Amino acid sequence: MGGEKQPVALVTGSGPGLGRAMVHALARRGVLVAYMSSDSTNGESEPGLQITADVTNPQDVVRAVDEIHDRLGAPTILVNTAEVHPDRDILDETPTSFMATVALNLGGAFNCCHAVLPDMVEAGKGRIINVVTFADLAPAPMASGYSVSKGALRILTRSLVADLGDRFPGIVINDWIPGTHAPRRNIADGVEPSLAAEWGANLALMDAPEVSGMVFLRDCEYRPNVSLRHRLKDRLLGKSRALVRLGQISS
Amino acid sequence: MSRSRARVSSLTETTPVAIAALRNWDAIVIGTGMGGGLAGRRLAERGLAVLFVEKGPIGYRSEIQRFKDEPSDYAARQMLGFWPAPVEARIAGGRTTQFFAPLGSGVGGSSVFYAAALERPERHDLDNVDGFAHPTGGWPVSYDAFQPYLKQASELLSVRGEADPLSVESGPDLPAPPLKEAELKLFAELRQAGLHPYRAHEAMRRLPGCEECLGRKCPYPCKMDGRSAGVEPALQTGNATLVANCTVEELFETSGRISNLRVRVDGREHMLSATTIVLAAGALHSPRLLLGSQAVHREGCANSSGWVGRGLMFHLNELIAIWPKRGNPSAGATRCMSLRDFYTYRGNRLGLLQSMGVKADAGVIAAHLKRSTFLRAIGRFPGVGKLATMTALLAAKFFGNATVLVGLIEDLPRYDNRVSLHPNDPDSPLIEYQFSHELKRRRTVFRRVVRKKLGRFRTLLLNSRPELNFGHASGTLRFGTDPSASVLDADCQAHDLENLFVTDASFMPTSMGVNPSLMIAANALRVADIIAARHDIALRIAR
Repeated sequence: MGGEKQPVALVTGSGPGLGRAMVHALARRGVLVAYMSSDSTNGESEPGLQITADVTNPQDVVRAVDEIHDRLGAPTILVNTAEVHPDRDILDETPTSFMATVALNLGGAFNCCHAVLPDMVEAGKGRIINVVTFADLAPAPMASGYSVSKGALRILTRSLVADLGDRFPGIVINDWIPGTHAPRRNIADGVEPSLAAEWGANLALMDAPEVSGMVFLRDCEYRPNVSLRHRLKDRLLGKSRALVRLGQISS
Repeated sequence: MSRSRARVSSLTETTPVAIAALRNWDAIVIGTGMGGGLAGRRLAERGLAVLFVEKGPIGYRSEIQRFKDEPSDYAARQMLGFWPAPVEARIAGGRTTQFFAPLGSGVGGSSVFYAAALERPERHDLDNVDGFAHPTGGWPVSYDAFQPYLKQASELLSVRGEADPLSVESGPDLPAPPLKEAELKLFAELRQAGLHPYRAHEAMRRLPGCEECLGRKCPYPCKMDGRSAGVEPALQTGNATLVANCTVEELFETSGRISNLRVRVDGREHMLSATTIVLAAGALHSPRLLLGSQAVHREGCANSSGWVGRGLMFHLNELIAIWPKRGNPSAGATRCMSLRDFYTYRGNRLGLLQSMGVKADAGVIAAHLKRSTFLRAIGRFPGVGKLATMTALLAAKFFGNATVLVGLIEDLPRYDNRVSLHPNDPDSPLIEYQFSHELKRRRTVFRRVVRKKLGRFRTLLLNSRPELNFGHASGTLRFGTDPSASVLDADCQAHDLENLFVTDASFMPTSMGVNPSLMIAANALRVADIIAARHDIALRIAR
């Protein structure tokens, strides 16, 4: 009931790096893309609709989503990429600097979810991807604000699924760890943002309700280690299934 | 207005309770399930100013929430549209247990979660029929008097299906949707066994994109229930209003009338008033509300007979797994089939057999095996549960998936089976229920005849103990002609109170052999017509 419309994506934090690469990868897949960042200087000759807004400011975000709604249609995909990673000794953090990191990495994602969810709820479908890390499992030195806020963002993802998953299974919500390590530098095995964005764009177009709540690491579903006993039981009961992969990369 | 704050529900006609409290309504309808929803719709369409008072939330129209036992948290259940509080029950004299009955709370009540089975009762369910005396001497309103309302209810609820080949009654006006290959085979096999299956009667509009929302909320006005066929069309008339998240706590009686109700919204009390009160909170909670309204009578409102809460009935559910013949595919989870070959057997009142929307895979069969008496007895030995799982797995490997049929067995009223007031928790109904010998005997007959007719080798009776269907409570405010042995009169007006009417399953003096929804809807329309006629007369006199 209701025809298929062209998807409309909102990508936050579209500075150079993963956000910008996601904009391109989504646009190549026929998605109408809006990208939002607090910095308006570097955006010419990009595909899609550029919006200058501060994700930590709820009114800004609402205004931005209203503009997307008017110019492209209601956002059907939200990719929360915006983040900051201050390298700061916890002894040098102030209450203000620490909470500013939380306000952007966690609060910004919440503000965007809050702004797009009414339309998604009305449609009974939508797509939310939170770009996260494993920083919460083993916080690195100099990364307290980042690790805490990104860890909390993973909890936000699970809370969204807890509150919405049953009522609106068509709103598909995931954590994605792209493996780009951006904006952290000096890490040898970081994935090129342009490559990660191809996986991310495929993930954004994956709308099967079964996918909701899964964690994706790079190009593949990530499952924490399951005991051999559980794996055997699942195998016997026919419940085991292959990991979901994010598919081939379009050239 | 910001688009982000756009209203996301089609039910936008809500009124703050404080505004609703400022006026006297023509009718207040307590509860918006099948009974309240359809009564309110008819009243609003006949021009009465109607206020729906709903305990649960409005929710969102696009929800497809499925009914589950979990979570147990009050606020979470309220959000999901499940009745938030548990019931306490003492069954067959055992220990008192606390559990969640399969009840909805929210616009549409339990009906938004139902499987939309709207089957007609048989004449003998209501009337004394030649050679088949009714256990109560017959309902105060006859089958023939209900006929026009059964028909109207079928129309409003878009009931579709086939006529029962064993009945003289005609079937629904709307045709059933086409069958799948495996379902056709199921019909053929049952016919080969000499049975008379027919296309189950369902309240679905089967709009394009219909996802058969059985057991869950339907995101379109496709499944017809207390919300889509009751509250929503009522609000469209402009004569009805809804207050949600509003709990009715007490009815107040003044000189033979309900003068006010005390309700609670967000922790604050309000008083509402109406010329007529339509009580439709369900057969477990309507009597609880009356019993708890003790301002004038210690025994509760409308209870001079002492029958409020008594005569409680549930259907017995008999689950039967049936495997297809070798080479035939399993029909799986299908609600397509009903049959009435065992509706009565040698003078015994039994009931309808219908296919259930459950696929009997290994897990389902194992769960039932584990509950069987034998396995429970030896269950303390380690590994028995796993043995059941393995047995079920092997069975599934060999026979494929079964189709589950569910038989309803009619329950009959007993004075001692009842809902009473919980001594500590006014929100929880206290259920006391004993299985009568007479019911156990009919159950034995049912199981024997089912096994005989369906074949011993491809069927498995899944429940060894009698299983009460807590979603089919009825009888707790029975209607009758004798004010000393019934709560309501033939109009479903309380004998004791001139402006209190009841339109949920409480009114039924016997539980019938079919799912109760169609009868609830038909009676709600009938009672609403009676209320509207009185309202018209009062208006004419006033002029």
